[in-house]
Amino acid sequence: MSRYHDPSESSQPYKDPTPLPDNVPKVQELGTTSAPLKSAAFFLGAYCKDYNDDFMLCKAENRDPEHCLKEGRRVTRCAIDLISKMRDSCMQEFEQHWTCLEKNNQEYYPCRKPERALNKCMFEKFGLAKVIPGSPEGKTPIHDVQKPIYTGVQK
Amino acid sequence: MPVPWEALIPFGLVTTMFAAAGTLLNVSKRAQNQGKPSRFHLDSWDEMMMDRDKRLTGHIRGQTSNTTAPEGFETSSVWYTERAY
Repeated sequence: MSRYHDPSESSQPYKDPTPLPDNVPKVQELGTTSAPLKSAAFFLGAYCKDYNDDFMLCKAENRDPEHCLKEGRRVTRCAIDLISKMRDSCMQEFEQHWTCLEKNNQEYYPCRKPERALNKCMFEKFGLAKVIPGSPEGKTPIHDVQKPIYTGVQK
Repeated sequence: MPVPWEALIPFGLVTTMFAAAGTLLNVSKRAQNQGKPSRFHLDSWDEMMMDRDKRLTGHIRGQTSNTTAPEGFETSSVWYTERAY
């Protein structure tokens, strides 16, 4: 008559029965998936540095989700801002880079050519450069090396 | 002198079987991954991101660079109900 319905077998997507209360301001959530985000990662780091640092320091004080909601909203808005700007100005290079990443297990090393085109476009339009924090001093960063040892298999 | 071509049939068969099995496996993997090579060496981060991609696009390998999330994205996360070990 009424048997147990396992929630993992339901045909509807999961809907949280306890959403955020109304006194928390609403923010538009970022709808970008993993490959474009990975492609834009270093530019997000350069453009949204202040908001990201604020959020991380806030989390370092207290891991409670309620404590850092405001900083989290700022990070989301900054990311949406940058990705919209990237789509407006550098759509072609951005798309090519993240499609290349998707075909290569989302790793950077086989996709240096589209990456160089994207870096050039981003530098011209917005002045944002890719900097790898923690790369060894004095040596060229791996994304600038012209003849790297580890490359992708040619397809 | 006549060449014993019948002796080469097994070699031909084995090669064909290898090729068929390999092709079938490759096609099966690509069909499961929307025409792209499958992902490997995945850690918890990658699995979390793929689950997020599924909530955004409907498939774990679906990708989009839209900045607006679809309706119901804010409340579709199962994360809060997972057991904390």
